[in-house]
Amino acid sequence: MKFAIALYSAAHAPSSRRALLFAQAVLADGHEIVRLFFYQDGVYSASNNIVTPQDEQDITRQWREFVSQHQLDGVVCIAAALRRGVLNSEEAARYQRSAVNLDAPWALSGLGQLHDAIQDADRLICFGGP
Amino acid sequence: MSTLHVLSHSPFTDSRLDSCLRICGAEDAILLCGDGAYGLQNAALQGKGVKVFVLAEDSQARNLPLPDWADSVDYPGFVQLCVDYDKVNTWL
Amino acid sequence: MSKSLLVISRQAPWSGPSAREALDIVLAGGAFDLPIGLLFMDDGVFQLASDQNARAVQQKDLGANLQALELFGIDDVFACNHSLEVRGLNAPASAQGLGSDAIAHLLDRYDQVITL
Repeated sequence: MKFAIALYSAAHAPSSRRALLFAQAVLADGHEIVRLFFYQDGVYSASNNIVTPQDEQDITRQWREFVSQHQLDGVVCIAAALRRGVLNSEEAARYQRSAVNLDAPWALSGLGQLHDAIQDADRLICFGGP
Repeated sequence: MSTLHVLSHSPFTDSRLDSCLRICGAEDAILLCGDGAYGLQNAALQGKGVKVFVLAEDSQARNLPLPDWADSVDYPGFVQLCVDYDKVNTWL
Repeated sequence: MSKSLLVISRQAPWSGPSAREALDIVLAGGAFDLPIGLLFMDDGVFQLASDQNARAVQQKDLGANLQALELFGIDDVFACNHSLEVRGLNAPASAQGLGSDAIAHLLDRYDQVITL
């Protein structure tokens, strides 16, 4: 079965870890993930500027490794990301900001990518809140 | 058409569970996770006739006993519920 | 055939970008000619209250986005009667009021759902 997974919470929210473990279980069970779409505060789960204490789970790193390892399509909503200061090098240059906190495997794109994933998938599963 | 409703807010501080129960269809089910697992302690869920699941790690973390009206699922079980129900409505 | 999506908007318009971002999902879907429904529920029905004054808190008027729904071909706009009643709001002209049973049936009609 084809899954689209949307995340609406930052990496420190339990729901971000829950989404990651769910996504891992989806692939382990032989299903397909057509796209991960990070919206609203979910854009923070893709930030590479998060510094996690050594004795705690580094969820943003785990997300990055998971997406890279399985070559998934990881899309971060550009409008939500700009509003929250999550920028790749291109956007940082465009808006003359000093910090870049988003890079591969994540791609910035629009809400059309969420709708496109919904059309392609058999199930849309959203994660957010606590 | 059946819907799996996913709740992660505590029903004692939040109205999502009440709203969910109001619009829950006869074929629907509820999956409690995160602080939503505290719903196991909530009388509102009992005897509603709606199927209730809880994410095992969240009831274990909170030391919540599993009542006889709820079933526990792990992550593979969560995935299977998403397959079994026609759609998933997470109350973000 | 395109899959249909129901967006359930539960946030008041003044609680940060959440209500606007829910509406953005709807408008983006409309721009792609996708079958989208929008249901206002819980505090989301406050988005439908008349004569709100966004300028009082230096915000953009969400009402303009609501008016854009029709332009984007979003005709299926609903409001939860129970949510309206408990908040002392009258049924708005811009949305069709639905009882709880009707909302349960509404969910059945759509392929996917996002509740924000």
